[in-house]
Amino acid sequence: MSENGEGGWGALSELPGNPLMWVLILSELLVFGALLVGFAAVRLLHPQMVLAGQSALSIPLGGLNTLILVTSGWLAAHAVRLRSTGDIGGSRRRLAGAGALGLAFLVVKGFEYADKAAQGLGIETDTFWTLFYLTTGFHAAHVVMGIIILAIVGWKNTTENLETGAAFWHMVDLVWLILFPLVYLLR
Amino acid sequence: MSKETHSVWARRLDHAWMILAGLTIVSVVAAMLSPPGQRTSLLSVVVALVASFIKARQVLDHFLDLRRAGSGWQGLFNGLLLTVLGTCLALYLAALSR
Repeated sequence: MSENGEGGWGALSELPGNPLMWVLILSELLVFGALLVGFAAVRLLHPQMVLAGQSALSIPLGGLNTLILVTSGWLAAHAVRLRSTGDIGGSRRRLAGAGALGLAFLVVKGFEYADKAAQGLGIETDTFWTLFYLTTGFHAAHVVMGIIILAIVGWKNTTENLETGAAFWHMVDLVWLILFPLVYLLR
Repeated sequence: MSKETHSVWARRLDHAWMILAGLTIVSVVAAMLSPPGQRTSLLSVVVALVASFIKARQVLDHFLDLRRAGSGWQGLFNGLLLTVLGTCLALYLAALSR
């Protein structure tokens, strides 16, 4: 357990890394959880509309983005491990790889949005597309913020900074692992 | 918990990544067995949700190191994940019967 987690944080002291990051992780899981339950409720109210919308989504592109994010998270976890051994160069290279894969995720997402826009499927098409763009767009905004945070902790790369930045990145990964099956696969 | 060596730590992370990638491929292939415009089979829905839960646990336990926290925290995150995934499954099944 990192030193900053000890003393004054109550039950949060049990958690590895920065306790405030865990508050953020829990908050984000609750927010995205509520959005996804809302998405499932819309399916209950309008099953045909949601089926038609989901049928226009690309499962291979969603799957590719999942592989990109889990690989990025794996690199970020190795960056933390290498930093704790004192291998700053190796740590920075893995972190750069994690950030580059984050950019790749955004490129795939941008391609997907452009494809849907070309088909006339926009945020105002119907409730499915409103929720799709809201949920995945909100997540993509977290990816952008995560890439910025990875760049900052790669620069100011103390072990504690790296642990905290990587934790934010893993939270972004975690949210996508729940979002992807509920939005793309449960048809 | 005794401190693990860096080689063990590295292998644990690699193992978690293999599980994450493998389960992603399995759930994508299961979903793609049904043609577009048709509902996926209940089996592929269950595969997708179980895979999602296992993958989330891998990220929590190995990338975020939640395995080092107490059972209360483990239970809280399990409960949160199961509540979201279970509620969505229940609503999905209810939508099927409409």
